[in-house]
Amino acid sequence: MKIGLEIHVQLPTRSKMFCSCPTEGNDTPNSRVCPTCLGMPGSKPVLNRKALELGLTLAKMLGCTIPERTWFSRKTYFYPDLCKHFQITQYDTPIGEKGSFKVGDKTIRITRVHLEEDPGKTKRVGDGTALVDYNRSGIPLVEIVTEPDLSSPAEARQFLSELLAAIRNTIDLPEDGDRSVRCDCNISVGKERCEVKNVTGLKNVENCLKYEAVRQLKVLKAGGKVERETRRYDEERKVTLSARKKEFEADYGYIGEPDLGTYRIAEIAASIKVRETPTAMASRIASQYGIGEKAAKQLVSTSVGLAELFEEIAGATDPHTALTWCTGAVSACWKQYDPSMRDGVVGIVREFASGDLTDTECGIRIRALITGQDPGEAAQAAGDLDALVAEAADANPSVLEDYRTNEKAANRIIGAVMKKAGGKYSSAEVVAAVKRCLDSRL
Amino acid sequence: MTSLPDLKAVNDRYRMFVSFTDAEECDGEFVFSAKDNLTTRDFPSTAGSRILEGYRPPFDATPVARMREAGGFLAGKTNMDEFGFGTFSANSAFGIPLNPYDRERSCGGSSGGAACAAAVLEDHVALGVSTGGSIVCPASFCGVYGIAPTYGRVSRYGLIDYANSLDKVGILSAKAGDLAKYLPAISGKDPKDPTSCAQPGEIGTPKKVGSVAVPSEAVQGLSKGVMESFERALESLRSMGIDVETVDMPVLRYAMPAYYVLATSEASTNLARFCGMRYGQQDGDLTLGFDDYFTSFRSKYFGDEAKRRILLGTFTRMVGYADRYYSKALRVRASVISEYKKVYSRFDAVATPTMPFVSPRFDEIAGMSALDVYKADFLTIPPNLTGMPHLSVPCGYSDGMPVGLMLTADHWREDLLLGTALEWEKGFDMRKPEVMA
Repeated sequence: MKIGLEIHVQLPTRSKMFCSCPTEGNDTPNSRVCPTCLGMPGSKPVLNRKALELGLTLAKMLGCTIPERTWFSRKTYFYPDLCKHFQITQYDTPIGEKGSFKVGDKTIRITRVHLEEDPGKTKRVGDGTALVDYNRSGIPLVEIVTEPDLSSPAEARQFLSELLAAIRNTIDLPEDGDRSVRCDCNISVGKERCEVKNVTGLKNVENCLKYEAVRQLKVLKAGGKVERETRRYDEERKVTLSARKKEFEADYGYIGEPDLGTYRIAEIAASIKVRETPTAMASRIASQYGIGEKAAKQLVSTSVGLAELFEEIAGATDPHTALTWCTGAVSACWKQYDPSMRDGVVGIVREFASGDLTDTECGIRIRALITGQDPGEAAQAAGDLDALVAEAADANPSVLEDYRTNEKAANRIIGAVMKKAGGKYSSAEVVAAVKRCLDSRL
Repeated sequence: MTSLPDLKAVNDRYRMFVSFTDAEECDGEFVFSAKDNLTTRDFPSTAGSRILEGYRPPFDATPVARMREAGGFLAGKTNMDEFGFGTFSANSAFGIPLNPYDRERSCGGSSGGAACAAAVLEDHVALGVSTGGSIVCPASFCGVYGIAPTYGRVSRYGLIDYANSLDKVGILSAKAGDLAKYLPAISGKDPKDPTSCAQPGEIGTPKKVGSVAVPSEAVQGLSKGVMESFERALESLRSMGIDVETVDMPVLRYAMPAYYVLATSEASTNLARFCGMRYGQQDGDLTLGFDDYFTSFRSKYFGDEAKRRILLGTFTRMVGYADRYYSKALRVRASVISEYKKVYSRFDAVATPTMPFVSPRFDEIAGMSALDVYKADFLTIPPNLTGMPHLSVPCGYSDGMPVGLMLTADHWREDLLLGTALEWEKGFDMRKPEVMA
């Protein structure tokens, strides 16, 4: 099975791609529009430099080759929500080509990365009537096209999820639910492929690919031929439906966009520094600090900020100590953590490492600092929790024996404590306390 | 405030306006008009098309705004071929402007109304637009001065596009001095049109050319009257101390096909937006599905020439044909530019007649095929294809009809054209048309 994706993500700019209308705000239909994003006669596009920079940042993140110069093209098609009846996009000079992105050990090749404008939205209101809202018209999009390197719907979802996390981290894309991503999904089980257009969100991508794979298999098993065509996904019924037969290469009659010039992007790209992706960060931390892939991934997946704090503490103490506290007490109250607390936390762990604080005191001080709780109360609560844990451990002596060979044995104690505490402590706190207790008894 | 002439009476006779003011006084320092494809807040802007009938834009085109800032009073919007598609202004949905020297004849096009207004009205400055010769052709037919600047010299913000890589806003007037005065006023970078931001600086002080080249290819296929006037004009140039030499520019013959491929390719995308949904005519049948609605509406409201150019331009962009037409035309444009640049290493400007014949009568035009009409532009297309500034000055009369001399200079050298026009005007015996209102 071969799957290739064309992924569209809106870029987080304040104004639209070719005019100064805001990208967010008033949701009243057609309230954030101007002559340019309505395509009124005489209007002209002016490129938003921020959109170009964000696109280049992503192209670099994906390891793409970036050309010396780029320009835009007109892609002509006739939908009511495309106000000019051509979309300003990129055809012969995408801002990036030949990149790659890793999912686990597998490398997915990226064919190209290009910029384009989003069309408006058509809303069907029954009785054959449709209304068009152009608020979305002209919002900058980046399109990322993969080679058909994905081999299952689950892998496609995994890829998409990790790619999105990397994009979010790279350009500070706000968490917008997973509906912020739109995909055209190309899939072939046999020789011919079908394209399912405009599928929104990770779950729908996976479900649509699953459905389409089964459909194509059934056609082939019955001795039929899969026809090359464009399909659409019905989210309610979870099926794909034929949208139109593809005239092999749809004829969009591309020509250069003469209203915009050519842009020398090599220089701009060279001046852009790309933030490390979470995946790259995890593997770097694992090898740099010798803490193992799994632990490093756990840090990064909790938060890149936590991984950064880990690096600070590891620098001030040692990787093992840093990992213990970052996955323990710090992680337990991570939601309340603020970067301004960094030096405080590092200082507390340093005191612990130099032997000025006991294990328990260190945990209490960290919790108090991050949650703003009174140290006395925190000590009391921690003492109570530790007492509960000790009690449960005493009551199940066999757990300690099992725990030597299997970490999961701790779950029995964790379960018992959680039940007894009745929601007083977060599961992370309980887990940390139980591990601390068992580790000390080994 | 000075009083305005009776525009209604003048327009009834010459039909140069699509819409005009009903004011009796000029509320400004001078009076100007704008071609109807330049957007204006206070007049409808239709670009000569029924599909935009009644359209009142929410913004002024930059050249219009700059004329107002310079003290101009906008008297009206001038008639034109639909979207600029034509040579005789006969492709307008709103009547045909009539030549001030002979109302049986064309004003030229596509800025025919602008040239007519410049010839007929006293002290009038007309904003025109050229894509393939639409300023100098009507200037020549109506016996006035007209300049199309370098591509990118004047902002196109607010210009209803014909072919964005070729469109230029310029000026027509009965006085060369108006060109020198108002072209700088409308020129300059405009952040709303990125293609205007590449210009190197302001237009230099007008300066007469020292030498001109006459391409041998340009003096073939001219009418006898035009040839005679042109030869006398070259004599006049010599008497002004300008060197005149004949050169060969064989690449010029490829300019016409390249121009029509590029212009129609771009035009077919520009016209894609018009479908009565958002502006202009809105009386389409909304009970139809979108595709049927779209087709029926456009079939009804586009003129024949617009339809022809949409078809041509769509064809030349198609997969499998784009390399043969569109991409090749881009390469031809580059080679025509380098042919001119070679000439500019030895000469200040290129001189040809503006049009191969004087303005034809409407009954003659009716007998011309579309191809005959396209071919009439063979002299004006090369400078337009290259984006180089060019100017038409009245240089003689043949059977009472004006003949134009066209000068083309290198990119950004409007100073040479303006300087030469100012000198020319001193020695040229201009005949005013007999205007009757």
